[in-house]
Amino acid sequence: MKTIGALGLCLGLASLAACAPSVPPQELINARTAYDRASQGQTVQTDPADLHTAKETLDSAEKSFADNGDTPETRDVAYAAERRIEIAETRARTALQEQRKAQVVAGMNAAQTAAVRTTSAALSLANQQLSTQEQQLQNETLRRQDAETRATQAAADLARIASVKQEPRGMVITLSGSVLFASAKSDLLPDAQAKLSDVANVLAKESPDSKIVVEGHTDSQGGASFNQELSQRRAESVRAYLVSHGVASDRVTAQGFGPGRPIADNASAEGRANNRRVEIVVSPASR
Amino acid sequence: MKTRLSLILVTAATVTVACGASFPEPTQRLADAQGARRSAEEVGANNQPASQLYVKLADEEMTKANALIKDGDNRAADRMLVRAKADAELALALAHEQNAKVETQQAIDKATATTTTNAIQGVQK
Repeated sequence: MKTIGALGLCLGLASLAACAPSVPPQELINARTAYDRASQGQTVQTDPADLHTAKETLDSAEKSFADNGDTPETRDVAYAAERRIEIAETRARTALQEQRKAQVVAGMNAAQTAAVRTTSAALSLANQQLSTQEQQLQNETLRRQDAETRATQAAADLARIASVKQEPRGMVITLSGSVLFASAKSDLLPDAQAKLSDVANVLAKESPDSKIVVEGHTDSQGGASFNQELSQRRAESVRAYLVSHGVASDRVTAQGFGPGRPIADNASAEGRANNRRVEIVVSPASR
Repeated sequence: MKTRLSLILVTAATVTVACGASFPEPTQRLADAQGARRSAEEVGANNQPASQLYVKLADEEMTKANALIKDGDNRAADRMLVRAKADAELALALAHEQNAKVETQQAIDKATATTTTNAIQGVQK
C-alpha cells in the first residue's frame, strides 16, 4: 500500500514537471527575436500575408512550449517559425527591389519616349526644310529652263529674220540694208518694219539690262560724207523704231560708220550688198 | 487494490500510445521539402552565397529524415522535414531577392547609359 502510494506520487510529480514552462529553447528565442525585428520593419507593410503566416507558426511554437516545454517538437516548430519570418522579410525586400526596378524602367521608358519625340520633331523639321529647299531648287531649275527656252526661242526668232552671230563685243544681229531701206533713203520700208518689230519684241523681253548699239554701214559707192550721214540716219531710224516698240531708250544708242567697216569686197555687186547693212550689237550691261 | 493496479496499467498504455509508435511515414512532407529544394536550385540558390547555406541545411535535414524513416522514427523524420522545407523555401526566397537585385542594378545601368547617350545626342544635334 505504501509502495503504491509512492508510485502515484512520483507519477503526479512527473506530470507536473512536464506541464510546467521551463527555459525556452534557443530556436524559440531566435524566432521571437526575428518576429520582433520583422514586425517593426518594412515587412509589415510590404508582405503582411507572409508575416501573418509566420506569426501563426510562432504561436504554434509558443503553445507547444507552454503545453509541453522544451521538447524536440517545440524546437522544430520554433525553427520553422524563424525561417518563415526570414522568408517574409526576404520577400518584402524582394518586392521593394522589384518596385525600384519598375520605377527605373518606367523612368527610362519615359526618357526614351521623350528622346524619340524630340528626335522625331527634329527630323520632321529637317524634312520640311529639305522639302522647301527641294521645291526652291525645282523652281529655280524650272526658271532657268524657262529662261534658256526663251533665249533659245529668241535666238531662233531672230535667226529667221536676220543673221545672228556671237562675237567678243556681244550678240550681233545683222539686217541687210536693202531689206530695210530704199536706195539712198533712211525711212524704213513697210516690210522692214514688220521684221524690226519682231526684233524689238525680242530685245524688249530678253536681256532687259543689256546695252544695245545700232550701227549703220554703207558700201563705198558715192561720197564718203553722204554715206556717213546716210549710215547715221539709218542707224537712228532703226533706233527710233526699236524705242517706239518697247525697248528702253537709255539702253539704245545709234552710230553711223559709213563705208568704214566693210565685211565684203566692194568691187562686186554681192559684196556691196553685204556691206550695206545695219548691225544691232547687244552686249551685257557690265561691258 | 485491484482498481488502483488497473488505473496504473491504463495510464501506462495511454503514455505508450501517445509516444506515436504508429506515426505514418511522412511521404507528403518529404515530397514538399524536395519540391522546395528543386525550386531553390532552379533559380540558382546553389550558386549564391546568401542562399547556399540554406540549401545545404535542407539537404542535410532531408538526409537525416530519410535515415529516421529507415529506422522507423517517422515522427522525428516528419519534424526534420519541416525544417528542411523551411530552409529550402528560405533559400528560394533569398535567391529570388538576389536575382531581383541584379536585375534592378542592370536596369539602373541601362537607364544611366541611355540617359548619357541621349544627352550626348542632344548636344550633337
